[in-house]
Amino acid sequence: MPRYELSLILKAMQRPETAATLRRTIETLIARGAVVRDLENLGDRLLPYKIDKHNERHSRGSYFLVDFYAAPSILTSFLDHLQRDVDVVRSTVLKKDDRVSSSNCCGPQQ
Amino acid sequence: MFQVIGGRSVQAARLLAPRSAVLVEAVRGRKSRNDPVAKSKEGRIKTPPPVDPVEMVVLKERYSEYQLIMRALRLEFKEEVLRKRYEEETGSRAEERARQEAEEHQALMAWNDQENLRLLKLRVLRVQQEAEEAQRKKMEVIMQREQQQQELLKEKEKEILQLQEDIKNFITLENLDQRIEEALDNPKNYNFAIDKEGRVVKQTLLQ
Repeated sequence: MPRYELSLILKAMQRPETAATLRRTIETLIARGAVVRDLENLGDRLLPYKIDKHNERHSRGSYFLVDFYAAPSILTSFLDHLQRDVDVVRSTVLKKDDRVSSSNCCGPQQ
Repeated sequence: MFQVIGGRSVQAARLLAPRSAVLVEAVRGRKSRNDPVAKSKEGRIKTPPPVDPVEMVVLKERYSEYQLIMRALRLEFKEEVLRKRYEEETGSRAEERARQEAEEHQALMAWNDQENLRLLKLRVLRVQQEAEEAQRKKMEVIMQREQQQQELLKEKEKEILQLQEDIKNFITLENLDQRIEEALDNPKNYNFAIDKEGRVVKQTLLQ
């Protein structure tokens, strides 16, 4: 199964609510047959620009990173689901590539 | 009307002592066959030139002698040529020559056979060696391929083992809460700069 990375920007909320949103998201993932590998928190920060979502203007958000293994067919429905979630400001799923070999790159030789 | 003549009839006509410098004779020219005779030529009776009998006899004799001699010479020469050809093909020297040629031919054929044998041996040897080389190379290639496959298998096995190790740290429904709490407690910061050796140089603060 290919390995994906979900970068999630959640609304600036209190801790229990954030925990609940995260729990919801990961449960959805597991319900669709994904294997969640790791969950990382990149902190609560000022967003680089104000984002309008679900009739609200957000200036602060919490950044989270979920990497998981999943089948490609569930991704569209999962993204849909995330779009409909009120607490989620922005969500992006990217494929995780294998590590590039550390040999000399074919760049300009010095 | 008058045409200049040349060739065999020249000799007879020359004896008739023409008045003009050029020898001419009557020939159909301006007038065609059906045209009427010209007025100045109405009563003309054409007579052939007179022949002197004595002269004719002498001439005839001389001519016959001359032609006899010429014919004889020609036949002589022809006969000589034929005889030479005959001698070439079936003379006494011809047999010797034929025999020598046959001998030479045999000798050369024998030498040719020898050469062929020698080259055959060389070729057989060479072909054998080349076949061996090819065989060896093929075996080498097969070995290499097998080796590569083995290596691939090992790699895959290592990966599988690695994954089996990693599985212990995955998030499941049971440790979901715990992991969430852990994550919320430890925010990670990836905003740092590295120098060429890979040491962390600068790190922005997490707000």
